[in-house]
Amino acid sequence: MADHSKVGREYAPVTWEVERGKIRELAKAIGDPNPIFQDREAAIKEGYKDTPAPPTYLTVPMMWSSSMPFVITDLAINFMMVLHGEEEYEYYQEIYPGDVITSAPKVTAIEEKTSKSGRKMDMVTIEGLYTNQRGEKVAKARSLLVERK
Amino acid sequence: MAHEIYFDDIQVGMEMPSLVKGPMQKLQHVIYAGASGDFNPLHTDDDFAKAVGMTTGAITHGMLVMGFVGQAVTGWIPKKRLRRFGVRFAGMTRQGNTITITGKVTDKRSVGGENVITCEVMAADETGDVKVSGSFDAALPKKG
Repeated sequence: MADHSKVGREYAPVTWEVERGKIRELAKAIGDPNPIFQDREAAIKEGYKDTPAPPTYLTVPMMWSSSMPFVITDLAINFMMVLHGEEEYEYYQEIYPGDVITSAPKVTAIEEKTSKSGRKMDMVTIEGLYTNQRGEKVAKARSLLVERK
Repeated sequence: MAHEIYFDDIQVGMEMPSLVKGPMQKLQHVIYAGASGDFNPLHTDDDFAKAVGMTTGAITHGMLVMGFVGQAVTGWIPKKRLRRFGVRFAGMTRQGNTITITGKVTDKRSVGGENVITCEVMAADETGDVKVSGSFDAALPKKG
């Protein structure tokens, strides 16, 4: 079960260089044909500086850096019993190829709840504010993990 | 692809154009695993998934379904107008499911010099079983 004593813990920052190819790859994996994610000229024509990161791009640094699996392990959450409950992003500005973004994930809440079927669950909230290479805020991510006990 | 949409042209109750995705195939889970970096075998290995109680085998990444919703949203409202996007993962998506994404505007208001709309969004399968529900906020330009 999740270690409730770790509420408030902040983890080592993840620094991630945003690549054009990864933006295109994510759009293709979703099957999103919107040219702004795959074609720089098309993106510029629609008022972007380059191909912007798609709305769910921030899952990429969290997973590829192994930050989220590390946090789950540190919180003593059972991988076999964890479900993704919620995900939310706030966007302050676009993320573009060449940007170097940084975020330190923080455990903001761990609450025990009981499901309709009477099963106990730990609800773990992890938040991360992302800044870019200029120190500007670009986005905030909030993940809710549900560990069935 | 998403043409400019003006705050003036949005009314509460207006529907987002719907989007149909799938039917889901394991190949897409594998491609998404590589793109996202989420290599949990629950999404790519039928035997593993069955061993942990998923009788139909590997299930779709919730974040891929959120990605489908993101595709529907930014196919309608330009990406640069999006301010917030949040979802709850309500049910598991299985191989063979066809997912339909719908949405409806629930609020429009002017706050802090921005003209913001809120739209509820939902992804459901061919039987109406809801997989993802949530909402987004977008700040839209005004005409003139």
